[in-house]
Amino acid sequence: MSSLNEPNKNGRTWWRSLDEVVAKDEFRTKVQDEFPEGASELLATGEDRRHFLKIMGASMALAGLGVGGCRRWPKENIVPYAHRPENTMPGIPEQYASCFDFGGVSQGVLVTSNDGRPTKIEGNPEHPDSRGKTDAFTQAAVLDLYDPDRSRKVTYDGTDSSLTAFKEWVGAYLPKNGKGIAVVSEPTSSPTFERMQRAFMKKNPQAMWVEYAPLANTNEREGLMSAFGGNWIPVHNFAEATVIVSLDQDFLGSGPMQVPNTRGWAQGRKVHNGKMSRVWIAEPGLSVTGAKADERSPMNPAAVTSIATYIAKEIAKVDIAIDGTVSLTAEQQIWADKLVSDLNHAGKHGLVLAGPSQPASVHYLVARINEELGALGTTISYRSLNNVGGVNATIEEFSKAMEEGSVQGVIVIGGNPAFDAPADLNMAASIKALPLSIHLSHNEDETSKVCKWHLNAAHWLESWSDGLAADGTICVGQPLIQPLFDGLTSPELLAILAGETVTDGQTLVRTTLFSASTDIWNPNWRAAVHDGVVANSSMLDKPPVNKRVPKGGTVVGGVGYTVCFIPSGTIWDGRHANNGWLQELPDSITKLTWDNAALISPKTAEDLGVKQGDMLKISVGSKHASIAVLPIPGTADDVIMLPLGYGRAFAGRVCTGAGVDVYPLRTSTAKWAAPAKVSATGNTYPLATTQMHFDVNSTPGKGTQERLPLLFREGSLATYNANPAFAKHVGHVSHSLSIFEEEQFVGAKYKWGMTFDLSTCTGCNACVAACHAENNIPIVGKDQVLMGREMHWIRIDRYFAFGSDGHGGYDGNDLTAVAIQPMTCSHCENAPCEEVCPVAATVHDSDGLNVMVYNRCIGTRYCSNNCPFKVRRFNYFDYFRRDPLRSTGLLQVQPDYYIKTQSGGKTLRAMQFNPEVTVRMRGVMEKCTYCTQRIQRVKIATKNAWVKKTEAQKQADQRVAILDGAIITACEQACPAGAIVFGDLMDTNSRVSKLHNEKRSYEMLEELNIKSRTKYLARLTNPIDSAVATEGESH
Amino acid sequence: MTTVPVPSLDNTGEDPSNRPQLILNHTDFGSVTTDILRANESAKPPKSWYFALAVSFTMMSMLGVMIGYLFFTGVGVWGNNNPVAWGYPIVNFVFWVGIGHAGTLISAILFLFRQKWRTAINRLAEAMTIFAVICAGTFPGIHIGRVWLAYWLFPIPNQMDMWPQFRSPLLWDVFAVGTYFTVSLLFWYLGMVPDLATMRDRATSKTKQMLYGIFSLGWRGSMRHWHRYERAYLLLAALATPLVLSVHSVVSFDFAVSQLPGWHTTIFPPYFVAGAIFSGFAMVMTLAIPARQLWGLKNFITMRHLDNMCKIILFTGSIVGYAYSMEFFIAWYSGEIYESFTFINRAFGPYGWAYWIMVSCNVVTPQIFWFKKARNNIAIIFTASLLVNVGMWFERFVIVVTSLAYDFLPSSWGMYEPTWVDVLTFFGSFGLFMTFFLLFIRYLPILAIAELKAIMPIADPHGHGHSYNEMSTETSEQAKIAEEDE
Repeated sequence: MSSLNEPNKNGRTWWRSLDEVVAKDEFRTKVQDEFPEGASELLATGEDRRHFLKIMGASMALAGLGVGGCRRWPKENIVPYAHRPENTMPGIPEQYASCFDFGGVSQGVLVTSNDGRPTKIEGNPEHPDSRGKTDAFTQAAVLDLYDPDRSRKVTYDGTDSSLTAFKEWVGAYLPKNGKGIAVVSEPTSSPTFERMQRAFMKKNPQAMWVEYAPLANTNEREGLMSAFGGNWIPVHNFAEATVIVSLDQDFLGSGPMQVPNTRGWAQGRKVHNGKMSRVWIAEPGLSVTGAKADERSPMNPAAVTSIATYIAKEIAKVDIAIDGTVSLTAEQQIWADKLVSDLNHAGKHGLVLAGPSQPASVHYLVARINEELGALGTTISYRSLNNVGGVNATIEEFSKAMEEGSVQGVIVIGGNPAFDAPADLNMAASIKALPLSIHLSHNEDETSKVCKWHLNAAHWLESWSDGLAADGTICVGQPLIQPLFDGLTSPELLAILAGETVTDGQTLVRTTLFSASTDIWNPNWRAAVHDGVVANSSMLDKPPVNKRVPKGGTVVGGVGYTVCFIPSGTIWDGRHANNGWLQELPDSITKLTWDNAALISPKTAEDLGVKQGDMLKISVGSKHASIAVLPIPGTADDVIMLPLGYGRAFAGRVCTGAGVDVYPLRTSTAKWAAPAKVSATGNTYPLATTQMHFDVNSTPGKGTQERLPLLFREGSLATYNANPAFAKHVGHVSHSLSIFEEEQFVGAKYKWGMTFDLSTCTGCNACVAACHAENNIPIVGKDQVLMGREMHWIRIDRYFAFGSDGHGGYDGNDLTAVAIQPMTCSHCENAPCEEVCPVAATVHDSDGLNVMVYNRCIGTRYCSNNCPFKVRRFNYFDYFRRDPLRSTGLLQVQPDYYIKTQSGGKTLRAMQFNPEVTVRMRGVMEKCTYCTQRIQRVKIATKNAWVKKTEAQKQADQRVAILDGAIITACEQACPAGAIVFGDLMDTNSRVSKLHNEKRSYEMLEELNIKSRTKYLARLTNPIDSAVATEGESH
Repeated sequence: MTTVPVPSLDNTGEDPSNRPQLILNHTDFGSVTTDILRANESAKPPKSWYFALAVSFTMMSMLGVMIGYLFFTGVGVWGNNNPVAWGYPIVNFVFWVGIGHAGTLISAILFLFRQKWRTAINRLAEAMTIFAVICAGTFPGIHIGRVWLAYWLFPIPNQMDMWPQFRSPLLWDVFAVGTYFTVSLLFWYLGMVPDLATMRDRATSKTKQMLYGIFSLGWRGSMRHWHRYERAYLLLAALATPLVLSVHSVVSFDFAVSQLPGWHTTIFPPYFVAGAIFSGFAMVMTLAIPARQLWGLKNFITMRHLDNMCKIILFTGSIVGYAYSMEFFIAWYSGEIYESFTFINRAFGPYGWAYWIMVSCNVVTPQIFWFKKARNNIAIIFTASLLVNVGMWFERFVIVVTSLAYDFLPSSWGMYEPTWVDVLTFFGSFGLFMTFFLLFIRYLPILAIAELKAIMPIADPHGHGHSYNEMSTETSEQAKIAEEDE
């Protein structure tokens, strides 16, 4: 057996064996290092085998997988259970329901667990928001559990400590009654957290409690407080809405409500009786909602407010004067009038929304407008929040108290205020000066650095939790694995601080949701844990009608340059900056990875004399930031959109060097938009976008515009109603006869196919993240993305369509449409890639899958050249390699990908791998497989079941038909819009067959005669003045 | 280097009543042998040879280091990416393989056409072919992702019961280039046998005698040997002739069989073959001009030879120019937006600079050879030959990179930039080539001695030697005597 201490001759460390478990002391010490406290305690006390194996199995199980599927396997011992735990079969994955809090809304999930390790997250069909779907953040969350930069221990003032020491310290040093203590927590809907909060406040009545998150929609809260009194949040029902008006609210974009919003909106995009919903949006930057909107008007935030006040005057007959509003241009006025008449027409099926950047009075106006339309109960409902009992201060008050000296200690529960609190509050310095400070967090981040105590948090995948969905449904979260590093959850910490006797997570949750006497065998409790939700616990309500008109407020915009702060589409407010998957996920609109940039319109770029990659110095008040420019068509002129969350100071492997911190520009009085001074610095900075951006009148730019109508087919609703098959008649395809006998599918039992609905796909990246997690796809790092070597098997293409400039060219400032098109391997029946592989490493199976045989591939890359969709990805390096050949020197090979994913995190990262999918080595080509592992799993199960049927049943079903929906690909499973459908084309009743036969379906690059199995459904838009497009546009 | 032909060396005249000599200032066989073998038989090679060998050996070692680095680290050390999965290595491969074709054309096709002037350059050109094919062969070998499995490209029976996939042009490459190398090597070696025997007979050291002896296969110079030699030579020439056309056609199929706009055209086989001959002749010129200068071979590789080669360069260059314009025309005429975009983008897009280098070097430069003055001016010929090779490299660069970088879906468009490893590997391949070539000059007969003798007037068995005019002072009688002595 290979020794633990000496690496073997290939430089890889071998995993431990169970042989050595009982034998050597040195092994126990090794274990101690990897898993402090937990594992050695287990060994010492002889805990039951299930718990033990969950930890040990996790570390031992897949240490060798990173080697790559195509080398010789290291010699391993397989150790079977002597007594197998009930209901588990080693190797068969299991799913458990859980939940986690995002922005105060509980996200429901089902987590797939392989041999005791959570490897993949799906949506929870029982959860009212999820209904089985997820967003990109949820998909990537599993990687956070295995983040090598996770903090693993409790520290005090930089030195290692322990939870026991902390508890003692709390007993001794925490002031009585909470005098001089402040607690800063993130917004949460967790009933257990609230209960512990009340317990804490009962014990510490003089404590200050602040609830803060950088992206919390405080304006909406305030506005609704004016309208209804008390704390309310709106819950929208997009499916019922025929006219949706968004005032700078990116409801389809990243955020806690992305999944239900997208699902509801997508339902409205289906054509019923020739009718479809219509989305209006007025916004400064081009957002996902803006890209999918039917009527869009880019304008600065002040102008958006002007539109809001205009609509309020016209519909709700309420007039509020807000400082800073600008007068609308003639064009904007016409647009607003059409909008108002459309809303009036929609009546109770209309819905108006406002974004967090709009002042509280606008949110008030929006509530009044919705009320006037009669939308209450149809498209909008409200839920009362009762968890703010206990919150008694704002972050500004807290900062002032620190300055005055009335606060001596702070307990920061989650969150990262030292990084993301408004810059004028000097949070980091103030907290550092306090004698007492405690921070509970996932990493040793910026706030932990200035706090004395750092407590490592348990990830939600390893803890008991609860929360409320948007409509108030109670959700229960169970752990999928024992805490890897013994962390605490927030309620557990509060329980300790409140001096509670019960501090164990599970008991806390169970007691909150049911009662103190409910034990673990209670059927209601077990049902709640199994389902992940407590049935019928929705809490939507009608708010009291209250018309206290609020004060005006102020807006910014229209004078000089305005910066607008927006969340990052991939790392939110910065909390996911160390998640490699999310950093490498291309932003939905900009396709930018690993960085943020100043997003400005092409005209503004021209005025400033800058182009993509040039750096700007942006000054807000006395603070500056230098950031690279990325011109995005459709952005309002003289507005600079700045995504938050980058430029983290915390030295995580992944986030170091990614982007520029723009939080210093964000003050408490101008949290969403501020006037700024902007100048070019003359420096440049490389921006890693996954798509090249061209000047629209350059040769490539013109070439793109010319072929766009062929590749991305869209039409207005009027065109569709007049001619449903319009998409099939774009371009000229000659249908040739084959000179071969086409026999390859004779006798096939299944015919796999897929459709992408371009009408409903929002480009949210949930599918990209899901595929990444499911198929063990590596991240490659910024330098490799700059070279164009990102490995995503599914990608979302984004094109801009422009209007003509009158001289035979195009106008880069006249954005007419944004095309968003997901692209995977189409498994062409006549695959060009198969022809040209010299070693037959890519072949076709009879079910229609283009099969990539990794162990035969020698990497000539001819298949990638011949693929017209360029969906094939080549492993240029050993992206999962754990030990580089050299670490320093002239011939150093240590590009970003190694540093960011591997060093120090060897076995931890490997725990996430899906054991059903090969991990590819360098020199091998890979691509989308239609999730062949899922297909095989269901096929095998169906065949096994078929064998047990009666003869008559077998006769009736000779093909061994698989139920439609039994096989669901990772991307299909994640998509909140339901835009991806996979299934068996041989089954004429399957969804995919019906969609393939839909009139608006078309095949990409059909003229190449590749016969792809993936079809696209043309996008339908619903502009207010839609004319029928003439047929036969290009031949 | 002379820039103006010296009257005694000028045999470029076209007067049929005054047929030019192909070998100047030599009237007997012995002096031919001595002069040609001066490079081999001098006690020490000239200092320039040592210097050149040191430089090329360094470059060759650099190639070795780069290849080692590549093997250990991965294809990622090059600039290849997605969509441009083929970059410098494939461009270099096509470049070197193309160069090789001139040698075979001179050896085989000109032999069948009875062009006597080929004898002065055929050995040198054929050597160039062998070394160029070696250089070419390294690139596809090293550019695959998993190099240690390169043997899977060959139809070797194995335990997996797997043959390679025969419909792939890359596999046709394996056969084409393999055949080409084998046949060229055989042809070259066979042709060298009498000359190796000459060197054996004149060897001054035991080692040399033994080595040349082994490789000359016991050549006695008897009539029987000559007869068999000539037969074999003819056969191999006939075998090699189709290879001139087929090998580069097969290489062009790497592109033509795919469906990328700019690649998928039927003009590729003749276009590539013409281009190959074009660049090959240019390389022969680049090698022959210094060689004739440094080793006193001006009487053998005469102005007429250079003149003839210039005419071939002009001819094939014009074919290449015609092919460029035809591609453009068809792209426009087809009305196919992807195809027309590709060509407009080649000329006016981000890689336009490469395109115009290609056009100026390949289309404009050879046109100078319409003028006799240019054809007889060594400096112009040498410069032009270098420019032609630069242009031909850029042609392959433009073909490979622009079609890959800008294909069907704009979302996958991406620029290609070579890394330092790419560039050093490419220069290293020149080192490999030059090392072999310099060793060849020193240790093997640089010109085809026996064949050259065979075209001398005195070698004519029917005694027509005297009609080859005033430069010959011998009578036919003396010619016959001289012949008997041999």
